[in-house]
Amino acid sequence: MIKIENLEKVYKTEEIETTALNGINLHVKEGEFVSIMGPSGCGKSTLLNVMGLLDKPESGSYKFIDTELLKLNDRERSNFRKRNMGFVFQNFNLIDELTVFENIELPLIYNKVPATERKRLVNEIIERMNIVNRSGHFPQQLSGGQQQRVAVARALVTKPKLVLADEPTGNLDSSHGNEVMELLCELNETGTTIVMVTHSSHDASFSNRIINLKDGHVISEKINKGRTEELI
Amino acid sequence: MFRLNLKIALRSIFRNKVSSFINVIGLAIGLAACLMLLLYVSYEWNFDRQAKNAAQVYKIMSNLKGDDGKISMTHDGTVPALAPAIRQGIPEIKAICRLNYGKKQLISNGNISFKKDARFAEQDIFKMYDYQFIAGDPATAMDEVHSVILTESTAKVLFGTADVLNKSVRYQDKTDLKITGVIKDQPDNSSNKFDYLMPWSFYETVDKNAAQLVWDNFSYITLCLLAPNSDIDAVNQKIGIIAGKNTSDLKDAFFIYPLTKIHLYGKFEQGRSVGGDITQIWLFMGLAIGILLIACINFMNMATARSERRAKEVGIKKTIGANRRSLVFQFLTESMVLTFVAVVLAIAILEISLPTFNHLLDIKLGLFYFDAANWLYLIGIVFVTSLIAGSYPAFYLSSFSPVQNLKGKIRSAGFLSVSLRQVLVVGQFCFAIILIISTMVIYWQIKYIKDKPVGFDIDALVELPQEGELKTKYDLFKTELLRSGAVSSMYQSSVSLSHHNSNFIDIRWDGMAQAENRIVFNKVATTYDFVKTNGIRLIKGRDFSEQYASDSTAILISASAAKTIGYKEPVGKTVSIFGNKCTIIGVFNDYIWDSPYQSNNPMVVYLDKGHTGTITMRLNKELGLSQNIGAINKIAKQINPAYPVEINFLNTIYSEKYKSEKTLGILSNLFGGLAIFISCLGLFGLVAYSAEQRTKEFGVRKVLGASVFNLMGLLSLSFVKLILVAIIIAVPLAYYAMNKWLQNFEFHVSISWWVIALASAGTLLIALLTLSFQAYKSAVSNPVDALKYE
Repeated sequence: MIKIENLEKVYKTEEIETTALNGINLHVKEGEFVSIMGPSGCGKSTLLNVMGLLDKPESGSYKFIDTELLKLNDRERSNFRKRNMGFVFQNFNLIDELTVFENIELPLIYNKVPATERKRLVNEIIERMNIVNRSGHFPQQLSGGQQQRVAVARALVTKPKLVLADEPTGNLDSSHGNEVMELLCELNETGTTIVMVTHSSHDASFSNRIINLKDGHVISEKINKGRTEELI
Repeated sequence: MFRLNLKIALRSIFRNKVSSFINVIGLAIGLAACLMLLLYVSYEWNFDRQAKNAAQVYKIMSNLKGDDGKISMTHDGTVPALAPAIRQGIPEIKAICRLNYGKKQLISNGNISFKKDARFAEQDIFKMYDYQFIAGDPATAMDEVHSVILTESTAKVLFGTADVLNKSVRYQDKTDLKITGVIKDQPDNSSNKFDYLMPWSFYETVDKNAAQLVWDNFSYITLCLLAPNSDIDAVNQKIGIIAGKNTSDLKDAFFIYPLTKIHLYGKFEQGRSVGGDITQIWLFMGLAIGILLIACINFMNMATARSERRAKEVGIKKTIGANRRSLVFQFLTESMVLTFVAVVLAIAILEISLPTFNHLLDIKLGLFYFDAANWLYLIGIVFVTSLIAGSYPAFYLSSFSPVQNLKGKIRSAGFLSVSLRQVLVVGQFCFAIILIISTMVIYWQIKYIKDKPVGFDIDALVELPQEGELKTKYDLFKTELLRSGAVSSMYQSSVSLSHHNSNFIDIRWDGMAQAENRIVFNKVATTYDFVKTNGIRLIKGRDFSEQYASDSTAILISASAAKTIGYKEPVGKTVSIFGNKCTIIGVFNDYIWDSPYQSNNPMVVYLDKGHTGTITMRLNKELGLSQNIGAINKIAKQINPAYPVEINFLNTIYSEKYKSEKTLGILSNLFGGLAIFISCLGLFGLVAYSAEQRTKEFGVRKVLGASVFNLMGLLSLSFVKLILVAIIIAVPLAYYAMNKWLQNFEFHVSISWWVIALASAGTLLIALLTLSFQAYKSAVSNPVDALKYE
């Protein structure tokens, strides 16, 4: 589904240039759950941002199914993103002024889904995420785990082809972290492709494939046998 | 989407109570001030514009030539012969009408009598003004010589009802007039306003001069109605030809000028309009927009300062599919909501403060809730204000990439964001400082003129209009008053001590340089005790005296008149006035009788018991004021029962002379104060945010040993620098503008350095107080709280 070739990304400040991605090649199949690991500053978040069309690389190719995404302009990128991708962040990134229901509804509004349909979809996902009794609450009234559930719900409500997760358990204790990881696994089992950046090898163990980055290069790739067999 | 944006806007407003409060209150005060000034501007702007034909109505103006053959003066007085002469000969003129200069005159219904604004005019005035007749027929209302048209309120004051057609009122306690019409009251901003209107044919019996169709008595107003799209120059030429036929001197003396412009563009130089009160209107418009801008700048500053908080929201929305347009729209919605709340508040503020404002400026402004046009303007203002206030944050915040937003890495240290915010703060304070300096200069100028001696003893001096029996029984009145002890001395004169008119040029003296005098003199006819009563200082000679029969041809002259005439020893010398030989018996120091801001014309005072006008009295200081006034009232009422007794204090009359400058002073005081207040409100908000952003830095510094004072200095310094820059920019601008303003006055103060120093120091002090409140709060907070936060 995803073919990334020779991806390069350089950060420039007045004095120094930092190469964040240095000729990355990466293929992700539909329905795969891929973890990206590596030390701080290795470029894993940058890679995720580029994959999510939140950032632009200097050169290379990024094909999603058969569309070359790096040639799209800003508006096309924005449109592509909202139709095909969902995001889960370490710090949840919920909008404080909106309730749980409204936060989840927001991507549907941007996708111009009719109101009755929106209501149905949001209620469905709220039920699935087991947060029905929280739907009228504001984010700051929820625990971290609950907030991340909301964030996952928001990422899933548009039924994206690809979910990008950036350290989704980073701000959670281990039991809440496990809950979220199980949620992602369930999601993956229903056919959603997931790419996750993580520091935690425990979290990575939930995925089919683990890619290790260092200094902007892919240094190793490991198939997680248990999960791959499940996949087969 | 709009509902969602509205929801976010409202919740964000409630969540950020302090900044919302600063925004809304600042904007509301700014809007209220702006609306108030605009109400005033629209009142002034609509002067004489209410009538349907207003744009076609012209006033005929006269140019007077000076010594050098150039136009020395332009005024609206025309000769009585002009209107009849041009009525027929110029096809463009559809209607023409002569009016007198109105004044308050007695009108009574039996015992109920009032002095009300009286006017005389010709029938054609109905074609120029849209008087709304409640009763009577405009076509016939002026047919009878002894008829009168009352305004509704005059009718109600006299009769208690407007249903008064064909009833009779008495004019000046002499002539009975039949009421042939009642009209609705006219708006205050009309230059030919009256309480009752009488036909010109009657005026020709009241003022015999008006009946003489002469070409040398410039004492009447002439209005004409032109056909639409008439060629003004052609009309002027035709008037010139007709006037020239009668008197060759007047060939190019007259020209027509739009009535709608006379109020604001009424100042003429060399026969051309050079502006007038319109300068004040521009000034007030500038003030209105300036104050609103200051409030808008607050809004922008607060919003951009908050951008770090909002950045996350923007980032999330962008990530999940919002495009830039929807974000811009969201922020504009937010500012629209705030502005709307501010407008509602502003209208409340306006309602509360308008009566005071009206009282201060002596006008009648009001909000008209049922006028659709007003609402359209208001909606326009809300729209423009929210666009100005919301545009910068909207475009600024929505411009970042989602990654920048999510990481909170917006360009807070970049060139544009910080410098624009700084520029805005500098601009705000520049405006405020200019207003403060202006206020101070205006205050000192008014004080300077007020403190300037008027040239006579103004205390305990009162005057009374000489009307009715007081004209014929002056001697009795004087005897009775002196006997009562209420006054110590008194005189009658043709004009009040404070007057504008009574100028002339027909005076000759020995050794004149030119064949004819071109310098305008002023004349006052009086009786005995002129100098004794008003306390003018005699430099040479003596006052008029009953001991000298020859005083009937004697004159007193002012020091400036003596200088103009040029006699080394004027006392005993003669001059010829209107062909009559007069002997100078005394020279007095000039006193202020016209504008206190410039030298007044040279003056001659002559003895003429027949020329009545005003009675001036010096109250007896031995007795109490109320006792004196009571006695004058009683005696005046006995002798002249038909007229109300109107005693005016010269003190009050002279303070009226500063009215226009006082208005300017009040306005610049008020709005200067508001400008500073709103600016400080904004500064307060900015410092609060700056402190919040630097919480961690302050925590670290405190742990490392920084004192409260260090931290306060650190936080305040960056803002103090901005205010210093504002001072550096504002001072020369204010100096230039106020110097130019002062040049309008012959007598004026010069701007001293300490005015500037005081204004600058004052602004800095107010700003520092604002800053230190917030700076202290954050400097004394517990460093652990700050560090824990991260």
